[in-house]
Amino acid sequence: MSEKKEKTVHGVIAEYTSVDTLMAACRRVRDAGYEKTDAFTPFPVHGIDKALGIKPTILPWIVLGAGLTGTATAMAMQIWMNAIDYPYIISGKPFISLPAFMPVAFELTVLFSSFGAFFGMWALNGLPKFSNPVFTDPRFDRVTDDRFFLYIDSKDEQFQRADVEKILGDTETDYVQTVVEDESSDKVPKPFFMMWGLVAGLSIIPLLVVLKMRVSHSSQPRFHVFYDMDFSPAKEAQQYSTLFRDGRAMRPDVAGTVARGEMQADVDFMTGIDMSALTAIDQPRAERLVRRFNPLYQSDAPPAQEAKSEAGTQAGKSDDGDGPQDAKVDVADEDASENKPVQPAAEPSAAEPSAAEPSAAEPSAAEPSAAEPSAAEPSDGEPSDGEPSIMDTTPWLDKNPLVLDEKTLANGRKNFGIYCSVCHGMSGYGNGLVNERARKIVAQTWVQPSSLHQDTLYADKYPDGKLFSTISNGVRKMAGYSGQIKTRDRWAIVAYVRALQLSQNASIDQIDEAQREGILKEQADAKKVLKEKAAAEAAKTKAAEAAKDAA
Amino acid sequence: MSLAIPNGLDNSVEQPGERAPLVLGDTTYHDITEAVCQVAERKPSTSWVIGFLVSFALLQWLGICILYLIYTGVGVWGNQSPVFWGWPIVNFVFWVGIGHAGTLISAILFLFRQEWRTSINRAAEAMTIFAVACAGTFPGIHVGRAWLAFWLAPYPSLNLWMWPQFRSPLLWDVFAVSTYGTVSLLFWYMGMVPDLATFRDRSTNKWRRMAYGLLSLGWSGSSRHWMRYEKAYALLAAFAAPLVLSVHTIVSFDFAVSQVPGWHTTIFPPYFVAGAIFSGFAMVLTLMIPARKMLGLEKLITIRHLDNMCKIILATGSIVGLAYGTEFFIAWYGQVQEEKFAFTNRAFGPYWWAYWTMVTCNVISPQLFWFKKLRTTPWIIVLICIFVNIGMWFERFVIVVTSLSRDYLPSAWSYFTPTWVDFSMLIGSFGLFFTLFLLFCRLMPVINMAETKATLAKQYHMTEHGDQ
Amino acid sequence: MSEHSAPALKSADDPAFMLPASLAALRLPLCVGGLFVMLLGWWLASGVGSDDLSEVEAAHIGANFGMSVYLTAAVYCMTIVLGSLFFVLIQHLVRAGWSIVVRRIAELVMVMVIPMGILFIPIIGSLWMGDGTLYRWDNAQYAAEHGFPEAVWTEKIRWLNQEWFTARTVGYFAVWTMLALFFFKNSVRQDQTGEKAITDKMQYWSGPAVMLFAATTTFAAFDWVMSLAPMWFSTMFGVYLFAGSILGAHCLLAVASYVLQKTGAMRDEVTVEHYHDLGKLIFGFVFFWTYISFSQYLLIWYGNIPEETEWFYVRQVGTWGGVALALIFFHWMLPFVGTMSRHVRRKPGLVCAWGAYLLVMHYVDVYFMIMPSVEEGSAGGLVGVIASILCVVGMASLLTGLVLGLAQQNKVVAVRDPRLGESIAFENI
Repeated sequence: MSEKKEKTVHGVIAEYTSVDTLMAACRRVRDAGYEKTDAFTPFPVHGIDKALGIKPTILPWIVLGAGLTGTATAMAMQIWMNAIDYPYIISGKPFISLPAFMPVAFELTVLFSSFGAFFGMWALNGLPKFSNPVFTDPRFDRVTDDRFFLYIDSKDEQFQRADVEKILGDTETDYVQTVVEDESSDKVPKPFFMMWGLVAGLSIIPLLVVLKMRVSHSSQPRFHVFYDMDFSPAKEAQQYSTLFRDGRAMRPDVAGTVARGEMQADVDFMTGIDMSALTAIDQPRAERLVRRFNPLYQSDAPPAQEAKSEAGTQAGKSDDGDGPQDAKVDVADEDASENKPVQPAAEPSAAEPSAAEPSAAEPSAAEPSAAEPSAAEPSDGEPSDGEPSIMDTTPWLDKNPLVLDEKTLANGRKNFGIYCSVCHGMSGYGNGLVNERARKIVAQTWVQPSSLHQDTLYADKYPDGKLFSTISNGVRKMAGYSGQIKTRDRWAIVAYVRALQLSQNASIDQIDEAQREGILKEQADAKKVLKEKAAAEAAKTKAAEAAKDAA
Repeated sequence: MSLAIPNGLDNSVEQPGERAPLVLGDTTYHDITEAVCQVAERKPSTSWVIGFLVSFALLQWLGICILYLIYTGVGVWGNQSPVFWGWPIVNFVFWVGIGHAGTLISAILFLFRQEWRTSINRAAEAMTIFAVACAGTFPGIHVGRAWLAFWLAPYPSLNLWMWPQFRSPLLWDVFAVSTYGTVSLLFWYMGMVPDLATFRDRSTNKWRRMAYGLLSLGWSGSSRHWMRYEKAYALLAAFAAPLVLSVHTIVSFDFAVSQVPGWHTTIFPPYFVAGAIFSGFAMVLTLMIPARKMLGLEKLITIRHLDNMCKIILATGSIVGLAYGTEFFIAWYGQVQEEKFAFTNRAFGPYWWAYWTMVTCNVISPQLFWFKKLRTTPWIIVLICIFVNIGMWFERFVIVVTSLSRDYLPSAWSYFTPTWVDFSMLIGSFGLFFTLFLLFCRLMPVINMAETKATLAKQYHMTEHGDQ
Repeated sequence: MSEHSAPALKSADDPAFMLPASLAALRLPLCVGGLFVMLLGWWLASGVGSDDLSEVEAAHIGANFGMSVYLTAAVYCMTIVLGSLFFVLIQHLVRAGWSIVVRRIAELVMVMVIPMGILFIPIIGSLWMGDGTLYRWDNAQYAAEHGFPEAVWTEKIRWLNQEWFTARTVGYFAVWTMLALFFFKNSVRQDQTGEKAITDKMQYWSGPAVMLFAATTTFAAFDWVMSLAPMWFSTMFGVYLFAGSILGAHCLLAVASYVLQKTGAMRDEVTVEHYHDLGKLIFGFVFFWTYISFSQYLLIWYGNIPEETEWFYVRQVGTWGGVALALIFFHWMLPFVGTMSRHVRRKPGLVCAWGAYLLVMHYVDVYFMIMPSVEEGSAGGLVGVIASILCVVGMASLLTGLVLGLAQQNKVVAVRDPRLGESIAFENI
């Protein structure tokens, strides 16, 4: 004891061997008026807080606050993320689905409360704290085993070392000792710093590497630690494949099959040509057409050779460069059906590009003249070299096979709006958005789409069947739409185009009396709006000019 | 009244009005310290080393399988249309369920003042954490691109520009299981701090003292600390108790909010929770009975502890049985064609063998615990508990596979066949579990010394006033 | 470790263990008045019908409404009686010590399954006398009117037919009566003899008893309440009813202990610690009830299948939607927050107040389960509500009177239970 006397005294401690002796001592010390006391025990002793006069903890309040924070966080997070910042409908549930938000709200409440209890408890206890004066006593090691200690702090107002030692000595103890400052070195051993430095240094390296990667460029392909399905064995359109003898990854229909729902017996409806009339004037062509739409069709006399020769002449004709494009389109149609090729590329020929393409969708790809702008020449069906035009040799249907009712027209209007208006414009003047854009950027290869409001395209010169065929197979730069628009819808578009044409040439007398007034009013309103717009525009220009002048 | 029990170590008999002792023999506080600390302080026994090597080898095998899976893709599993939730999800639910007993013992039995929990709660809590670790592995690798599993977290991503989908039970699961893992870890660690301080104070080696000193945060056993500590412990227990209910409830939501026949049934939440506790207790017993023998803890983990746990297994097993029956009854009573088919198919369809394995192991085998003789004979307990674990694995298998393999599109029906990777991963997950558990036995206090001493103190106290 | 030394037990004949005279005097008034009020409520309810209906239809609706009101009252009382039975069983099963001082109250209440059996006769009677008066499946035309497939309905009425339904109800009551009498008689016998073996015997049988109890209550809930909507089903329904039932039993214990103490019985035996425990359990079971009812709702809401949603659909539109919200706020949130604090739980008056409050809310819960299934789907207006309240208050008073009568013949505490001392001395940490 003597050598410790110079050191700071923190208090006095006494050792006990049982709970009961400790409790008795606690009560005695409390009754003697000491307040800065503490007991150290290997396990929680109930009732000792009363015996020592320890106040209840505020921990439950901390936990309550943490729990409420958790609930609020969870609700705010879910509502913000799923209903405000990134709302989307899933399984028909509302964006703010309170029942579905409950589980996460509950979990976060529990999580936050537990953090509150855990960290709050350590914080209130002032732990972790690795240096404690009571630890200086070697006998104190048994506090976590089977010994009980009572401690009176020197900060207590009543603290007099002799008194304290006496009062503790009077209790059932045989060990009373002063607690002195822990004088052992508080220096952290050097190896710790070295280790720490090493770990810190090493851990920076990956960060630096990532950082460098993020700010620099490289011509190397990036690392593929995980393939992430970047190298899919699936083929894209038009790609080459070694799997098939023809080398094509895209597969044509198997010979003699028709895809479900594509079987159409009514060839008139499919082509826009009056087949019975065509059979009368050009039987082989009629048969080819029939076979194109019905592969199962068996004719009495297979016209393959004849057809081939015709295809050859027709294709050759188109090679001249100024052949009628419609004829070309039509031929392409028929050629496609012609050979019934299991391997269409068996005799690939540059001279017969259309024969190698079963699809009629891109006949103009091989059409050099299409590149020339022909906006000035609206009619495309006119023969230029004296040969009879396909317009004349084909008996086009001149009546729309659909029942023309409101539904059909509405359908036509819808599809026109979707597919045609982008180029031809909503009212058919050839001024759709794509065209406007092309003009704006002065696109060199752009062909002005036809205005639909011209004599040559009216029903008397350009029968419905022909119009249908043009929509289906395309013309000049315009691709055929038979792949995208269903047959019935194409006919509906035809009907709608006719209605559009009529609308631009109609007089008010053609309208039911009952509706006239409304339409006139609408017209007046529209005119008014246009006028206002024009005025506003003018004012704006004026203002802009004024501003310019001012500048 | 004396602590000495006439029939040696059997404290499973209790006279009404007197509580049977939970710590046996003329044990003192110091004896408890000695008994628990020697487990970690002495040299590892041969059986421990062998067990560890085997487990560790299995763990490596699991790791190799996961690498193989990540490198090749989830096609290495038997998961195939229409059973896309194959063994990985079965294993996930199985392991999460195992974990539940730990929290139940440490939290719910604590709240119900069941003092017999004290000597088993530490190991059971450790088991919870290791089981959750095993469980977490499976959905992690089941997401397909395991390296992107962090997308499940709601973090402000600069690449995705979107948030997780909080109306999905799978995301609830992410929150539930991670919260469960975190809270269990806090609870476990907090409970261990006073005991780690004991390890610190007993250690003779400087490095050991420093390591345990850091872990025990400077715990001194101050009464003020104890008071706040106990308050925090009670609060954590109060949170962990509903949490443990919520976790398996949410796991059951993964199934029950869907419309798959056989999954969509309202009894699932309580039935899953009961099943989880059931399997968890079976696992605790399977582990603790050999452990108490090998580690020499028979005076602390007594026959009475085993007896009580067997009773809980019997009770939860019967609840599970009642739930099976109710499901079947309602499938018939509801007269919904799909439900009726789903249940008939379970019992008499191609997976009849799995269904009846499940019923035998889960409902019939625990009924043996009606007999006290069987409840107090350790090796029989272990045997039955292993059956229960098998049965509970099959329960999840039956739920996942029978329902999915017969979904709404009969042309897609098929028979699920696991691959060697499926088997390896199930076995490997046991490797992970046992590796962690064996390490825990060596490095940490396997029994809550502080609480056991408190129980002993109460026992002393009652002895003094016991002669009413 | 307690600072208290073990308490001195009073002798078994101490007046503290007797029913106070002030309460005993209420027996007869409660029985007679209760019976009268109950019948009055029932009669009032049977008069409910819309003016725009024909007389026959109005009479049918009235009878249907009246029976539903009666069933609501009966199920309400039954859940509390069953909750008390379960309380007793579970205390034996886990060899609980703390609860001995309040266990007798639950024992007295559980014997009420016998009068409840008699009170259930009109419900069974409605099946035999009427045609779909209470349970719509009892009507032969019901399936045809609602277009249920023939095959489905033939299977359904194999379970839902008057003979088999009656047999099951009789069976449930037989099982519960057997359990209640066994545990009550043994406990009362122990008052005389003080044999410890009796405790052992009750503990031994509590395990099988709990299993019987669980199986019968599950199916009773399906039969009595779930089959009101014959095509609807929910596997969890038994647990749902049970959750309210066990909550109600604990609330009743708190209220009854408080009243008994105020009138002079068991003042030293039931301490603040027991209220604290009851408070904790009430809090826990409020949570449990919420958990079960929320899970049931969530699964049905999320699955959104027409077969299941019909039940909640009628309950979340119009007036019933308001009741549903009221249940969320006043059966869950308010008592959940109210009983969360330790300070509340350690004040007997507050625990008693929350118990009484929750007993009322439990009635709203039962009302919400049963009344929307009345054919009209309405609450019958103000008269209907008043009639419902009269009916349940009457039935509860009648049963209270009977309980008091039984209590007068016996003690209000299990005076010679070997764990009584432990219970009195028990302290929460």
